[in-house]
Amino acid sequence: MEGAFSSYCCSRQCQFLASMILLIVFVIVASPSTAVAHRVYVYAWVEGNKVYTESYFSSGDRVRKGLIQVYSPDGKKLVEGRTNDKGEFSFAIPQRTDLRIVLNAAMGHKGEYVLKAEELGGGTSKKTEKTISEKVAKKETMKVNVPSTGVSEEKIRIIVEKALDARLKPIARSIALLREEKGPGVTEVVGGIGYIIGLMGVVLYVKGRKKAR
Amino acid sequence: MHISEGVLSAPVLVGGGMLAFAGTGVGLRKMDYDKVPEVAVFASAFFVASLIHVPLGPSSVHLVLNGVMGLVLGWAAFPAILIALLLQAVLFQFGGLTTLGVNTVTMGVPAIVCYWLFHKAALKASPSLSTFATFLCGAGGVFFGAVLVALALVTTGEAFLPAAKLIVLAHMPVMVIEGIITTICVRFIKRVKPEILEVAHGRSF
Repeated sequence: MEGAFSSYCCSRQCQFLASMILLIVFVIVASPSTAVAHRVYVYAWVEGNKVYTESYFSSGDRVRKGLIQVYSPDGKKLVEGRTNDKGEFSFAIPQRTDLRIVLNAAMGHKGEYVLKAEELGGGTSKKTEKTISEKVAKKETMKVNVPSTGVSEEKIRIIVEKALDARLKPIARSIALLREEKGPGVTEVVGGIGYIIGLMGVVLYVKGRKKAR
Repeated sequence: MHISEGVLSAPVLVGGGMLAFAGTGVGLRKMDYDKVPEVAVFASAFFVASLIHVPLGPSSVHLVLNGVMGLVLGWAAFPAILIALLLQAVLFQFGGLTTLGVNTVTMGVPAIVCYWLFHKAALKASPSLSTFATFLCGAGGVFFGAVLVALALVTTGEAFLPAAKLIVLAHMPVMVIEGIITTICVRFIKRVKPEILEVAHGRSF
């Protein structure tokens, strides 16, 4: 009697469970654009002497007025500022060490990104860059009458570096984007629900044994 | 409303962890054999709800569903929320393992408060009052959650009132949506399988 009742009850509950899970899966599949949630990301890349950062929620929305703090490896705060309406914030490279960029988007949301010292480049300060461009300009005007033997190794290095910089900018940016993980996908969602069902089985087993005793 | 890792100080994390442990213990003890599948369904729903993003308001917010969990599950909402948050932390990297306790408390305590405040009115009163109470229950879960998150953030040096105002305001649209979802959900359960609400509550309390 008792067994018959509980198995009846269980099958009703299983039906309910199955329909609810179907509903949940339907909601996910029907609205792929909503497969986003509440986490903040910040990523950064270098262009010339400036570090550019972009901050956004995992939904893709930009973080407006988020607090950005930049720390040196030994934990000293170097730069502080707030993102604009597009979630962007840029600052001059404060020092050529690893930079830890921390975003605090209020309400307990925090993200960080570490910009490696190597990514900051070979260290052309604003002043030297200016003199370089002057030198390059001078060199170009001189090119007409000066034979190529007059070009020093140093100048070639500078020119190549500049050209490479320009070419690599978009690539550096997309690498920074790639390095950030994407939001959760169907695998994670289905996996999580699977875990919950598995745990349900464990709890039912334990409680069932207690009941039987 | 997940609090990320590295925001809160150690004493707050430990305190939250202990409260969550206690709440989960009570929830597990009060959870009947027949109620386990329901708990699992609501844990799954809570787990997935964080992915349903509400594009209204100044910030990025998502569904919580803790109000309806409290109403249907009572104390058993606590273990359900703990498991769902654990999986969100591991699989989605929302919140974090160290903040699991605090997050469980900020979501679980409102569920139980909502149960205490609204379950009688939601289940027994006249249809219009019941609808109203259910709506308040859904909205209240988010509201109390926001207040508790603000309270947790006070320990980091944020002033309570501005923080609470900001979080509550940001979650206004979610409160309304959760109220409506809770109303629809409870109505559906009442029509299809009213034992879930009544029998479960009769036994676990």
